[in-house]
Amino acid sequence: MSRTNLLFEGTSYPLESGESVLDCLLRHGQAVNSLCRSGACQSCMLKATAGAVPAAAQVGLKDAWKKQGCFLACVCRPQEALSVERCEVAGTHSATVTRVRSLGANVLGVWLSRPAGFEFHAGQFVQLARPSDGLKRAYSIASLPSESELELHVAVLPNGQMSGWLSTAIGEEVSVCGPFGECFYQEDEADRPLVLAGTGTGLSPLVGVLRAAARHGHRGRISLFHGSPKPSGIYLRSELAALGEQLPGLELFGSVLSGEESELGTQERWQIEQAPLDQMLLSRYPKFDAHRLFLCGHPTLVQALRKRAYLAGAPLARIHCDAFAPPHST
Amino acid sequence: MSASIYSRLGGDAAVDAAVDVFYRKVLADPRISDFFDDVDMDRQRAKQKAFLSFAFGGPNAYTGKDMRAAHARMKLSELHFNAVMEHLGATLTELGVPADLIAEAAAIALSVKGDIISS
Repeated sequence: MSRTNLLFEGTSYPLESGESVLDCLLRHGQAVNSLCRSGACQSCMLKATAGAVPAAAQVGLKDAWKKQGCFLACVCRPQEALSVERCEVAGTHSATVTRVRSLGANVLGVWLSRPAGFEFHAGQFVQLARPSDGLKRAYSIASLPSESELELHVAVLPNGQMSGWLSTAIGEEVSVCGPFGECFYQEDEADRPLVLAGTGTGLSPLVGVLRAAARHGHRGRISLFHGSPKPSGIYLRSELAALGEQLPGLELFGSVLSGEESELGTQERWQIEQAPLDQMLLSRYPKFDAHRLFLCGHPTLVQALRKRAYLAGAPLARIHCDAFAPPHST
Repeated sequence: MSASIYSRLGGDAAVDAAVDVFYRKVLADPRISDFFDDVDMDRQRAKQKAFLSFAFGGPNAYTGKDMRAAHARMKLSELHFNAVMEHLGATLTELGVPADLIAEAAAIALSVKGDIISS
């Protein structure tokens, strides 16, 4: 019987009988992290790109990770050929900027032609690079895979190099690396209550989740909390309110630091309050049980909310985070 | 030798139930929460699970060297170690584990005290 073949980032390594993927790679001098070597600590997680991963190598992983082919190398003993890579490896594609439009205060909507062969879930993010000098920024995809364009929400910063350039970049080519992240809708749970929270352009992955939920006929309650310094930063209001037609359980909340009386209160489906986002959310959700949570935007808020949600009963496997690097104007 | 606590408690599923009770306790304890307040909570939870599996005599490949390397930087004292031991005991009590099994798990955890505390 011939030996099972392991393909790691383009190089072939034959597995000894009963050998784990981790042992095989270490034996060949590949630097792969590991600690407990018993399938618990998840230090050695890799991603399969082709071939069947034995179920035992995915025990305890989040569904979102399983769907991306992630597995634990220390307990993975493949019966057939397997192609694997480090989790952060992703393909690079070329795309063209097709449209740009302001979506709200300091938020630019940027649409790209969808590169052929680029597979993703709405809500995942990509790294966008400007070919002329390699300038890179990460953006989440708010549009569905069924659409012909990728919709990105770009925070417009004073002297922001990428945001400034993109605002006049129609027709320009960009390179798109990804997709990354686990902030996306799970198609097989139409009745599960969802809690979505994000600040600034942290709304973009949440819009992706909402659109996917609408497309798959989600029936459970969905509470979206969007935070911005001022009411003018609570963007895409009408469009999200219109999703309420397909999502009967949808509630929309806006959290602002300051605003005129006339800008607060109930408008369309939105409830806009002058209150910190974490307070707004936790006062309505003191406990979590069956909920799935998506937390995106400012890292401090994301970390704090994740911890509070976990202590309030949400299992980590159902808390999906996407912390955006704090805005800087380089 | 009798079967490990790990298998008597119900194996991986039991550890999985215990780890959230345990991790919430340490996260909420101001004496030690900073050490556990990891940016990557998923990975941190997995580490706690590996620790519990170890304390239950379940599958693990921890060595004294791993334990020392992982904890040396944190400059941990007896106080920190005892806090973790308290939460281990409280977690198992809460889950209705019989006292003799709790004592067994505590003894296993105690066996690595020297590798964890910086003296």
